[in-house]
Amino acid sequence: MKKPYTLLNKAEPYLWILPSIILMSIFIIVPIGFVFRMAFSQVTKAGLIKGFAGFANFEKVLGGAKFAMVLKNTIVWTIFVVVLSTVLGFILALLLNNEFKGRKIARAIVVFPWATTLVIQASVWKFIIDIDYGALNTLLKTLGIISTNVNWTPTPEAYFAWEIACGIFVTIPFVCFTALSGLQSIDSSYYEAAIVDGANYWQKLFNITIPLVKPSLTVATVLNIIYVFNSFPIVWTITKGDPANRTDTLVTYLYKLAFYNGKQGEAAAVSVIGFLILLVCASVYMVSTLKKGDE
Amino acid sequence: MTLDSARINWGKLLSRILLYFVVSVICIVILYPYFVMFCTALKSRQEIFSIQGTIFPKEWMWSNFIDIWQKAPMAQYMLNSIIIAGGSTAIAMICGIPAAYALARMKFKGQTAFLGFIIVSQMFAPVVLLIGIYKVMQTMGLTNSLLGLIFINAAFNQAFTIWLLRGTFMSISAEMEQAATIDGCNRIQAMFKILLPVAAPGIVTTLIFIFINAWNEYTVALCLISTDTIKPLTVGINIFNGYNIIEWQYLFAASIFAIVPVVILFMSIEKNLTSGLTAGGVKG
Amino acid sequence: MKKIIALLMALVMAFGLVACGGSSAPAETEAPKADAPAAEAPAAAGEKVEINMIAAQYGNETADWWANFVTEFNAAHEDINLVVDVVSWNDIYTVVNTRIANGQAPDLLNIDVFADYQADGLLLPAEEWCSEETYAKFFPSFLAESIVDDVVWAVPDLASARALYYNADILEAAGVEVPTTWEELKAACEAIKAYDAEIYPWGVDMTTDEGQACFAYYAWNNGGGFVDADGNWALNSAENVEAVNFIVDLVNSGLTNTDPTTETRYDLQDMFAAGKVAMMIGPNQISKYCEQNGGINYGIASLPTNGDKAGASVGVMDRIMCFDNGYTEAELAAVTAVVDAFYDDEPYADWVLMEDFLPATSTGNELCAAADPGMAAWIDVIGSAKFYPAAKAEWADVKQGVIAVQQEVLLGGNAQELLDALQAEIAG
Repeated sequence: MKKPYTLLNKAEPYLWILPSIILMSIFIIVPIGFVFRMAFSQVTKAGLIKGFAGFANFEKVLGGAKFAMVLKNTIVWTIFVVVLSTVLGFILALLLNNEFKGRKIARAIVVFPWATTLVIQASVWKFIIDIDYGALNTLLKTLGIISTNVNWTPTPEAYFAWEIACGIFVTIPFVCFTALSGLQSIDSSYYEAAIVDGANYWQKLFNITIPLVKPSLTVATVLNIIYVFNSFPIVWTITKGDPANRTDTLVTYLYKLAFYNGKQGEAAAVSVIGFLILLVCASVYMVSTLKKGDE
Repeated sequence: MTLDSARINWGKLLSRILLYFVVSVICIVILYPYFVMFCTALKSRQEIFSIQGTIFPKEWMWSNFIDIWQKAPMAQYMLNSIIIAGGSTAIAMICGIPAAYALARMKFKGQTAFLGFIIVSQMFAPVVLLIGIYKVMQTMGLTNSLLGLIFINAAFNQAFTIWLLRGTFMSISAEMEQAATIDGCNRIQAMFKILLPVAAPGIVTTLIFIFINAWNEYTVALCLISTDTIKPLTVGINIFNGYNIIEWQYLFAASIFAIVPVVILFMSIEKNLTSGLTAGGVKG
Repeated sequence: MKKIIALLMALVMAFGLVACGGSSAPAETEAPKADAPAAEAPAAAGEKVEINMIAAQYGNETADWWANFVTEFNAAHEDINLVVDVVSWNDIYTVVNTRIANGQAPDLLNIDVFADYQADGLLLPAEEWCSEETYAKFFPSFLAESIVDDVVWAVPDLASARALYYNADILEAAGVEVPTTWEELKAACEAIKAYDAEIYPWGVDMTTDEGQACFAYYAWNNGGGFVDADGNWALNSAENVEAVNFIVDLVNSGLTNTDPTTETRYDLQDMFAAGKVAMMIGPNQISKYCEQNGGINYGIASLPTNGDKAGASVGVMDRIMCFDNGYTEAELAAVTAVVDAFYDDEPYADWVLMEDFLPATSTGNELCAAADPGMAAWIDVIGSAKFYPAAKAEWADVKQGVIAVQQEVLLGGNAQELLDALQAEIAG
């Protein structure tokens, strides 16, 4: 099977990945370079770079009174959204993997939250939970469950919880369809063998389904963590981080720094810090999961 | 999966009922925001903010759905969005499939480094990269062009494309391709004829993912596109989000139109999600 | 190996195909509306002087107004190609800053702030690109708001002023007079709440959108403010502390809308027009808005002051500025032509009336007062209005700072300590 070892053969894999590398380098890696440059530069309020600043931007950011809280919010946000959407999305995928009448429609419905721009999605949620003209209060009043309007968002924490709920809502389809495609590619002979062995539903789930779907789901989860960590529109549309940064995540915080306070250097520093956090998490993942899966 | 017709299996029947019940509940929860969106889109401005809220519009303002086409070039926006999303999907697949194939089927130095590179490329939010992206586009003369947005969206979606396809390819045994190679196929032919049909479910998922992401992209389009006639839908409908008034009824009506093409696309290729395996000849 | 080369070539071709398809598509399809200046630019545009402008979107009609203006202007000036991007307020800072950071500043910009651009030496003094005739139309007091180092860097395109809007029917039913002092205001709020607990007596917006206005409403009517008599930052004055505590107390007493930190004045305006909010401070556009949306019986009054302290309305002014893009004489002349055409009496009056703003020129005043009698009273209000110290370099930080202070106090913080900290941070 082995071909003679030639330079061309050696180069072949690189030719296969070349288009992808070019595409990502030009349109993502170069812009990332600008972020780093800005993070270490003195940047004027209008956004012009005026010389090297060393770690001054980082010092200002880390010394900021709100940074620790914003970082904590970001972690809470990421963990809740990723964990809950993964669990719920996987369960939904299991349900939709059954054959039943109307499955096609059910699957199409699940696409809805994903097919909607996040800004609009978040606007609708804001509209639903509003105390004064919110649809939820109207619905519950009409059904006779409540008699006066309920304030669904009495505290900043409550607002944040709704934002997390909205985040889960829009992330479930992503997990669901990734899991579904994994479920679909499981060879049914595994199950047939298990049925012969007399395995029950749960045994099949934990011994066959989950281990086999895991590879495609772990990939999705890592990317999901990154996307959720960097998610912007939901928090921005619903609260803009108000009140007093209580619902800010790193991205909304740096957006305000950059475009409201005109501190683009500090904003770039915040994004570099976020990047480092994600990098550590991803490295841990790469080392643990990839080694196991590939070898 | 057919029910045994000889005797009624109560356990199975119960689980069927339970399945329908749970799926229905989930669908209702998912559809609720759209129901709100739809009803709001049909209300008059006054009714939306009236003290006595209503679920259904008192007066069905179907005219809202017509008005938006006159107040904004919706058809043009939609066409632009289709071009952007379609183009991005094509480029992302063209670049992503070979890369995923190489990762799944070949061994080469720097494989792990490339995987790391892909992940790292995703670690900055687009909002952060705006200034750099603008600079790149400016150098290439692609600001204010659909092509620029197509490339950006394709690039942003490379990571998922490659990772998911790599997983899909790896889960498919290489035996058949090897057999085909012995029969005289080269690698590319083997990939097209054997691997890709079997990998259809994964490919469809990837297609949907890229298309939807590109369809919904807002931040970069906002900064790169200034000419009204080449704005995508997401940016274009901002016209209803004015200085003094947010025209909810129009914003939601326009948003409903924005969902339709995606759902149609999904329904038309959804069957590949299920039929991919049988097409590939894997027993099942 | 040949196959690989073939594949790569196929890739390149596919790129090319998509590229052609992508870029030519908009040109092939006919624009449904006539507001596409760039797409319609003739091939010979290279010989023309091109002027780029970014304009803020004030409302639904702004984009149409500009499209119309551009068409007429370009028809009348064969050697100039004016291109105007209308951008919503939500996004305009992102768009403008991204372009400036890339050395792609527009030629003309219509926005609210100017000091940051001036501080980087990006702007041209107004007198260099305004014709004398146009320059003479502006009120000196308005121009004074755009002075840094004794030079005027921007000219006002329009103004708006704030006043107390009240629902006359609710006030009458609750048996209260229109409040003129804080004391009366609180009493009126309590009476309204006693009359109908479902109504919010007072509308407050402390959001990131416009929380600085809330600060100004109370600080300026308590003898405080952002700066002292010498123009130095004075954020932690006793008057300011009292002002913040007063409004937070109203919120905590349940006399206002529920969520002042997320409910913007647009939400308040909607609720006011629906009869849900009894009184609020807002811009003159609310009049038209109410008439179009429900027609409640509203009235307008001055902002309430603390006791007999001097009152002040809050004025908001937006500006037009010209970036220094190294113009040739012809280009500068083209900029001047655009500005002249904009402030030409008729289109300008139309511009101001379109979204119900107040004019910033003397001739505009006369025309608008003639066209809309309701405007005359507002033109008086704007004469007595104070403006944000937007010419000071720290303004962006102060603006975000006072918003954060109010929100913190609402969550239980101490106004004095927070304002002290802000003052220390801003003034060093």
